[in-house]
Amino acid sequence: MNAPQTQVITGSARVPVEPARLARLFDNRNFLGFLFMLPAALLLLMFLTYPLGLGVYLGFTDAKVGRAGEWIGIENYQYLVTDSVFQLAVWNTFLYTTIASVVKFALGLWLALLLNDRIPFKAFIRAIVLLPFIVPTVLSAIAFWWIYDAQFSVISWMLTRLGIIDTYINFLGDPILARMSVIIANVWRGVPFIAICLLAGLQTISPSLYEAASIDGATAFQKFWHVTLPMLTPIIAVVMTFSVLFTFTDFQLIWVLTRGGPINTTHLMATLSFQRAIPGGALGEGAAIATAMIPFLLSAILFSYFGLQRRKWQQGTKD
Amino acid sequence: MKRFTRRDFLMAGAGIAAGATVADSVLGAQPAAAELALKPEPGATLRVLRWKRFVQGDEDQWMANTKLFTRATGVEVRVDNENWEDIRPKAAVAANVGNGPDIILSTNDDSHQYPDSLLDVSDVCEYLGKKYGPWYPSALAYGKSGNRWIAVPLGCGGNCMNYRASHIKAAGFNEFPKDTAGFLKLCQALKKNGTPPGFALGNATGDANGWCHWLLWAFGGRMVDENNKVAINSKETAAALEYVKQLYPTFVQGTLSWLDSNNNKAFLSGDISLTNNGISIYYAAKNSPDPKVKAIAADMQHANFPIGPIGRSTESALFFTSVIFKYTKYPNAAKNYLRFMMEKEQYEPWQQAAIGFVAQPLTAYESNPIWTADPKHTPFKLSCKNMLPNGYAGKLGTASAACMADFIVVNMIAEAATGTPTQEAMKKAERRAQRYYR
Amino acid sequence: MSAATKDLQQTHGMGYLVSLPRRVVTVYIPLVVFLVVLLFPFYWMAVTAIKPNAELLSREGNPFWVIHPTFDHFSRLLFRTAYPSWMWNTVLISVIATFVSLAASVLAAYAIERLRFQGSRQVGMAIFLAYLIPPSILFIPLATMVFQLGMFDSKLALILTYPTFLIPFCTWLLMGYFRTIPFELEECALIDGATRWQILIKIILPLAVPGLISAGIFAFTLSWNEFIYALTFISSSENKTVPVGVITELVEGDVYHWGALMAGALLGSLPVAVMYSFFVEYYVAGMTGAVKE
Repeated sequence: MNAPQTQVITGSARVPVEPARLARLFDNRNFLGFLFMLPAALLLLMFLTYPLGLGVYLGFTDAKVGRAGEWIGIENYQYLVTDSVFQLAVWNTFLYTTIASVVKFALGLWLALLLNDRIPFKAFIRAIVLLPFIVPTVLSAIAFWWIYDAQFSVISWMLTRLGIIDTYINFLGDPILARMSVIIANVWRGVPFIAICLLAGLQTISPSLYEAASIDGATAFQKFWHVTLPMLTPIIAVVMTFSVLFTFTDFQLIWVLTRGGPINTTHLMATLSFQRAIPGGALGEGAAIATAMIPFLLSAILFSYFGLQRRKWQQGTKD
Repeated sequence: MKRFTRRDFLMAGAGIAAGATVADSVLGAQPAAAELALKPEPGATLRVLRWKRFVQGDEDQWMANTKLFTRATGVEVRVDNENWEDIRPKAAVAANVGNGPDIILSTNDDSHQYPDSLLDVSDVCEYLGKKYGPWYPSALAYGKSGNRWIAVPLGCGGNCMNYRASHIKAAGFNEFPKDTAGFLKLCQALKKNGTPPGFALGNATGDANGWCHWLLWAFGGRMVDENNKVAINSKETAAALEYVKQLYPTFVQGTLSWLDSNNNKAFLSGDISLTNNGISIYYAAKNSPDPKVKAIAADMQHANFPIGPIGRSTESALFFTSVIFKYTKYPNAAKNYLRFMMEKEQYEPWQQAAIGFVAQPLTAYESNPIWTADPKHTPFKLSCKNMLPNGYAGKLGTASAACMADFIVVNMIAEAATGTPTQEAMKKAERRAQRYYR
Repeated sequence: MSAATKDLQQTHGMGYLVSLPRRVVTVYIPLVVFLVVLLFPFYWMAVTAIKPNAELLSREGNPFWVIHPTFDHFSRLLFRTAYPSWMWNTVLISVIATFVSLAASVLAAYAIERLRFQGSRQVGMAIFLAYLIPPSILFIPLATMVFQLGMFDSKLALILTYPTFLIPFCTWLLMGYFRTIPFELEECALIDGATRWQILIKIILPLAVPGLISAGIFAFTLSWNEFIYALTFISSSENKTVPVGVITELVEGDVYHWGALMAGALLGSLPVAVMYSFFVEYYVAGMTGAVKE
């Protein structure tokens, strides 16, 4: 914790200030810091930390809807680790998060590179590329539901007309296909955000680096690998952290498309937690499932947070 | 930041200082007499949250009846409508935090999840039972918790076989089969003709739970016995699962993904010729401007679920109850409202406007002309009588609601249908059920 | 398309540029595929929104096309539901929540990044951690609080709870952006006797406009899309937001009003789309600041 603290992030040298003044400033600093942090801290502590504590606490009780529970220790967790549906949900969550994130990253990076190219109507295309990110998720999910419909899917319609298939595709009814379908819907929604963020990163890379690489006789791939990718690393780390977090906690999409079916093969931890807590009334167990997500999320965040710090430092020495 | 309006403050105050004490004192002043005198509190207003209609007429008439109530009593009532599955989180929150709408029209055993948050409505229900009753057993099961009525049963959204008469004929059946053996033959014949049946097997709260429970019960299987002991792992259940293994191949493809609305769509487009549903498909078909859909309305018929080896009706239906939360400031007005809506002058027109979507919980309404106005309505008439409550043969409560919400029966049947060995599917279901029943 | 390509050739007729056929394969074809896939669901929404119900379930004809377009679904949405007020609520809630979050985040980010008070690193970390909380379970305890504060079924409930997921992102983004502003500027001002507040308002903020815009846009989008809180904290029709209103009132039991649902989705995306088209360049620039060293 100390190491990142001491490294001053700005590249600029700081003007020395005489001691008395510095001391006064320092006082001010803590006080001002406190004052400035106050609005954010109040909102977060009140509406986030406190309910979170309550939620974690609920996970250790047998609370039901409308009835306060009793402390039962880790009983909920003991049951969950043996519960085949929970195990499936954990597995699904990992599968969903991993595949969706990797695909989103790959496609997002590709799209960013395309958008960074010289193309006509650049601004317009950039704006419309963001559209999937704009539509409220529940509503785009409903559109996808209709597109994936077992009887009315336009994709199936088109493919049968083209003579590629002869029966309609069972998009959401087959365990493997259903997982693929929900992942595709998630990717569809996530790619634009990643692409635009990476595009932002691409634009900060100075053309002189590419020119230097060209002079050294680097191929296009070498330029990408040795210039683009390293320069993009910080934003990749951040964007992917967000992407992983949002994917891991995804709820709306699954809830609209499959409700976790068929036979729980698309249940994620978030949807299972909701299903058990609200329609099922088992608040305690639902809270336990949600709490079980926290360690995974925490490790994702820490990974990227410290990963990010190290990268910065590496870059600093490279320059 | 913390500037509340006076009204907000009052609301918050009422939420914290349990409204129940206020309610109790008012009630105490007015003991339930033989003649039900529920004088609304002065200045009373009510907020009602109800499920969004399945058929348009239901909502229109409910609102018209509400207006009549306001005219008769001077109590302003505001009704919000929401999709029935979204009522649950709302009701859960209301029960948990002790504030929200005075009355919620809820579904199935939701009210049994938080009986302690609900106002005792025994006086209203006993009065109604005497006047229009008796209540059907299903209404008793859903309305009462122990000796106390916690909800006024409104009726149920009957669940019937919806079929295309011409397709059944083409498959060689002159009438809809009355038993499960005949039903299987019909489905196989329909499949052969290219006019397959389709029954939801996804996590569809209404339709999938409806027919899966019917099937389980028809073979004598049940989630729990009379003592709330898990009894799903039985040879009766196994028989039901073996049956479904033969039945499932006759379905149109994709039923594993079906949610509540899929079968409506597939039936109206002519993709399937048999499914289970309430009257909403017929209502939509009848009122469609499209001549092709109108033709489906003319061709379609309803029938009660076939009877299985157990030898009696084992239907399952979406049950509607109305509950008053204890925190209400106007318990008498709220009770009076529910009583008013259940009176013949209001209830019968309501059923009529909904063309029988809601089947009555009280025997007197069997004579409502809506049941004979169109022979296609008739099979829905006795839905409340024919149905078994959730969690049969045990008691309703948090466990029955949790098992239902977790789709334990639906998942078991879907697993068996898609090739999981019978024993394995049953064991899995048993384990999951034991978690809630203990 | 061909005109556009020609245009491009003229503007960028540079020697090192790869040949046109190659560009078509490596740039234009993939780009067109991307656009088609990304926009297809919108096309589908638009077609569904103007299709009469009869055609929606019809087996004949081409599902990609509408034979008798109708605006029934739009008129149903606009005149027979509370859609206009849902829209207004969503705008109001999103705008206020965004501004509240931005204000809190500017202060927090400035404090963490520039004041460097004791423990600022840890606080920065803690704010980052706020992301790990899944709202799908948070809403029950949160609902209890909303009631106790007397905010149930009011827009205030959403305005105050949305910042919980907006502030962490905005703060993080602005911290990055403030980092790009040279310290010298601030120190000169300090020597000139300016207060920290003056510095923040007069020097830092004007320089951070792109960062503010991109944080604001992102926050606005998240508020616009929020579902669970809006579903549980609001019950009156006139207080609902667009996603919740559309879902809870246009799905009737097992009957989906597909046309109206899709019309609602399209109309609901319009304001954000317009905003994005104006600000997308800033958005890109703002994101850049966040990661630039």
